Amino acid sequence: MAVNGVQSKAGDWRNYKRVLLPPIRDLHRLEVYEAHGGYQTLREVLTSDRWDPKAVIEEVKKSKLRGRGGAGFPTGLKWSFMPPVDDRPRFLCCNGDESEPGTFKDRQLMEFNPHQIFEGILIACYAMSVRTCYLYVRGEFARWIEHMEHELEKLYARGYVGQNIMGTDFSADIVIHKGAGAYICGEESSLMESIEGKRAYPRIKPPFPAQRGLWGYPTTINNVETLANVPLILRNGGEWFASIGAPNHPGPVLYGISGHVNRPGVYEYPTGMLITDLIYEVAGGIRGGKKLKAVIPGGSSTPPLRADMIDGVTMDAESLREAGSMMGTAGLLVLDEDTDMVSWLRRVTHFYAHESCGQCTPCREGTGWLENIVTRIDEGEGRLRDLDLLLDLCDQMEGRTVCALADAAAWPVRYTILRFREEFEAKCKPSLIPTGIDVAPTATE
Amino acid sequence: MPRITIDGTVYEFEGRPKLLQFCLDHGIELPHFCYHPALSIPANCRQCLVEVGMPVIDRETGKPKLDENGQPVIQFMPKLQTSCSLDMADGMVVKTHRTSEKVARAQRDNLEFLLINHPLDCPICDQAGKCPLQNQAYKYGPEGSRFEFLKVHKPKRVKLGPRVMLDAERCINCTRCVRFTDEISKSHQLTIIERGVKNYPITPPGVEFDDPYSMNVIDLCPVGALTSIDARFKARPWEMSATPSITITNAKGSNCYYWVRDNLIVEITPRANTAVNDYWLPDEDRLDYHRFNENRPDGPEVRRDGRLVRVSWEEAYDRAAALLSGIEGQRILFLGSAYATVEDNYLLKRLAEALGADTPVYIPHIEPGHGDGWLRTDDRTPNAQGCQRLGILPVDEALVQSRLESGDIQAVYVLEDDPVGSGLFSAEALADIPVILHYYNTTNQTLAVADVALPAATVVETIGTYVNCDGHAQRVRPAKAIRTVNRVLMREIGKSRLDQHGTPYDRWYNEKHQVDCKPSWEILPEVAERLGHPLRYKGPKYIMQEIAETIPAFAGATYEAMGLEGVRLVEIGAEV
Ligand SMILES: Cc1cc2nc3c(=O)[nH]c(=O)nc-3n(C[C@H](O)[C@H](O)[C@H](O)COP(=O)(O)O)c2cc1C
Ligand code: SF4
Ligand code: SF4
Ligand code: FES
Repeated sequence: MAVNGVQSKAGDWRNYKRVLLPPIRDLHRLEVYEAHGGYQTLREVLTSDRWDPKAVIEEVKKSKLRGRGGAGFPTGLKWSFMPPVDDRPRFLCCNGDESEPGTFKDRQLMEFNPHQIFEGILIACYAMSVRTCYLYVRGEFARWIEHMEHELEKLYARGYVGQNIMGTDFSADIVIHKGAGAYICGEESSLMESIEGKRAYPRIKPPFPAQRGLWGYPTTINNVETLANVPLILRNGGEWFASIGAPNHPGPVLYGISGHVNRPGVYEYPTGMLITDLIYEVAGGIRGGKKLKAVIPGGSSTPPLRADMIDGVTMDAESLREAGSMMGTAGLLVLDEDTDMVSWLRRVTHFYAHESCGQCTPCREGTGWLENIVTRIDEGEGRLRDLDLLLDLCDQMEGRTVCALADAAAWPVRYTILRFREEFEAKCKPSLIPTGIDVAPTATE
Repeated sequence: MPRITIDGTVYEFEGRPKLLQFCLDHGIELPHFCYHPALSIPANCRQCLVEVGMPVIDRETGKPKLDENGQPVIQFMPKLQTSCSLDMADGMVVKTHRTSEKVARAQRDNLEFLLINHPLDCPICDQAGKCPLQNQAYKYGPEGSRFEFLKVHKPKRVKLGPRVMLDAERCINCTRCVRFTDEISKSHQLTIIERGVKNYPITPPGVEFDDPYSMNVIDLCPVGALTSIDARFKARPWEMSATPSITITNAKGSNCYYWVRDNLIVEITPRANTAVNDYWLPDEDRLDYHRFNENRPDGPEVRRDGRLVRVSWEEAYDRAAALLSGIEGQRILFLGSAYATVEDNYLLKRLAEALGADTPVYIPHIEPGHGDGWLRTDDRTPNAQGCQRLGILPVDEALVQSRLESGDIQAVYVLEDDPVGSGLFSAEALADIPVILHYYNTTNQTLAVADVALPAATVVETIGTYVNCDGHAQRVRPAKAIRTVNRVLMREIGKSRLDQHGTPYDRWYNEKHQVDCKPSWEILPEVAERLGHPLRYKGPKYIMQEIAETIPAFAGATYEAMGLEGVRLVEIGAEV
């Protein structure tokens, strides 16, 4: 892959030193984390004159960190949307609801390096003058929730969380909140509804969370991995961070590689890795030496790329957009030549139909209808006209709903059909009336 | 003043109205389901989409950029916007389905979605005929459906509570019902369960939807998912007439429609009036219609040989006059009524005056604890305040009881009340003196001692005015026809088919259910005339006009001033 190697934006990735998931035994325990320099950045931020809240936000802006939750929004900019401090409460929500198929990297962080998340949370709270952070964790991660709660108790006991942290006049609480098994709770506004104890229906925007968030107060929502990067930025400087990986989308990132590869798993590397490097070098190539058929680069909602579309494509927002997909959560699904794309799409449409919260009409009805049609095609009962209907339904859903789940459900359908149409056609029966035949005989003759 | 352009027409506006409400206020129809002016805005039905543009602002000058014709350059947002949740802004340009194919298509698409899992059981649905989904599907929806799969099945007959039935398949998940119990009645008894297409509203486990205002969700529901257990399957909307009026279970006078078929009241639904009841009715008001249909009298009666016998109206008037004429006015007790209209009480007062009797008094009907500070009051009568404004005050029970005992009262004239049933007098106490009774129902216990029993028209059969506990004067209109021909009533009841009033020409008009009763404003002048005191008016409108001109507490309260929503008397200058 020499040719491609030149185009990688990840530099000398083979000698990359992991910073999100460093190879340290028992790092998830406070003693070990502290022994390796943990919480020193927090202490520095809280005690040094250099770091007033504004300066912290500026540093994060300088780092060009972009959210790792899927949308890739610049984190420093998001923080600066918080209104000036007044006497109202303000909140931070850390999003650990990770439920998108093909995405399993936040779980690794919560399992192996939770203190870096806590430290990031505390620094973010300081930067935005927030007193309370809710860490919303997918309920299925029960074991790691239990463990994190245990570690959090230790932090309270040590005075690292709670009143007057480290003897300063900064106080902040962290509350771990368990989800109850709905993908939609990861959407930031329904996450807040869920914390408020309500049914997790996403809210309409505007107002945005920074204006009216949790319980109506200014709120920022960040992904777990996003916040785990924050201590690194403050320790090593924004410029250091910005120099890692792709210039416009920099930093270390957790790639979750799954599917038909020899070594699936979560891998930490800089952004801007070549997709081909990730598949063939990092994940050990396709299982059984088969050929690649498709890659879904950022979780199941991102448009799939055909094997012939990934040459030279790197894992960053810019390159993936040009290639016709998105960075999403950097969870790569690798599909080999034997994959039945119709069957794959059937599984994906089932997921979104199952997870639509059902609040808005196009998504509630559309996701189910998509699943119906794709299932019918997969079972050999579909007709060619179904493909046009599917694309039509995507038009009817995209951009017309409260949250982005409808888009997330429509994109895979649209792009799988557009990019693998022949596979769908092969499974469809011909339409009842073939086109091009004049079915109305002329009476005058 | 800021301006907005909607489909090419420029409108001025104040404040920051939401676009949908502004359009509705200005007669621009936009299809919508989830939006309701009294509830929060979830924008979940996605039916009210419009195209929205804003003028492009020149970064250097800070002023709108102009094109070669001097018109501001408009940049349209890439996504359609929900008009219900959109704050209007100066310079905004809006295209509705009238000018934008994109919007028309989105509305069509959305209706297609709404109908794919809808059971389409309109032929047996109570909502059919007044259903926003049906109407909008016809108007804006697609020709057919491309959905070729089994529809989602959900529970079809769920008794949410004692009064409301759910058909979950018909539900379009607009959450209006849930928002009502969360935001308006605050009972929090409904929530949506399940997810996606399986969603439907239900009570939490172990909770019954017995909210005293539960039935409002029936009208809020834009489809036939929530129906009244009492009214379902009884009548189709197009078989009924709906008459705007007020309810009379208490002193609030909530605005309502009386729905009539076959000349029977079959349902009562709320009518919006922000000055009185907003959009709501207590369940109890809505179910209080049996008294108009059942136990109704059949013509006037007089007592002969100890029994009430049916006579003609003329005979009954003669007898009433004959009984009263021998008695000194001072010895006759005139009982006004907080159930009767202002006009009727006024005529009674005029009659009492003419005979030299004391001003009438009325029997209060107070039920402590019935009120809830909202649309229910402790006072169970609709017109106590109207009586008081006429100078007809609550009866001093001890005084009249002792006067009766001592023989100081030698006759009692009762306007639309039940002094025996209410416990003011015992039947024995009244047994030996003439009692003339205007009454509504045969359950009236004073009938046992009445010498002349005159069936009076109820609120759904008459014209008149009531004053609610807040001093709001409101008119009532006849919803059903009475047996006798009364020109004044007929004029109001039978305007047109469009109004759907029951008229002799409508097939649902049923003579069998006409009660042989008369409004008290027709009875009282007949009796008065026979006593030598003409009290002739061309109708209640003219009685009210005289009241408005002569009694300061009603100054200005004419029928014209009251219209459909009534008037707050203090606001038109009437004395308190
Ligand atoms: C349907 C849906 C599900 C989502 N699920 C998650 C999730 O599980 N975890 C997450 O971090 N972000 C999720 N997001 C994105 C969040 O809304 C939000 O953008 C993100 O948490 C912001 O964090 P970031 O700026 O740090 O990326 C989801 C979005 C949508 C529309
Ligand atoms: S788009 Fe889907 S998931 Fe999002 S609010 Fe609407 S129905 Fe719920
Ligand atoms: S039952 Fe009616 S009001 Fe309630 S959510 Fe369904 S459609 Fe809306
Ligand atoms: S009225 Fe339902 S989205 Fe606007």
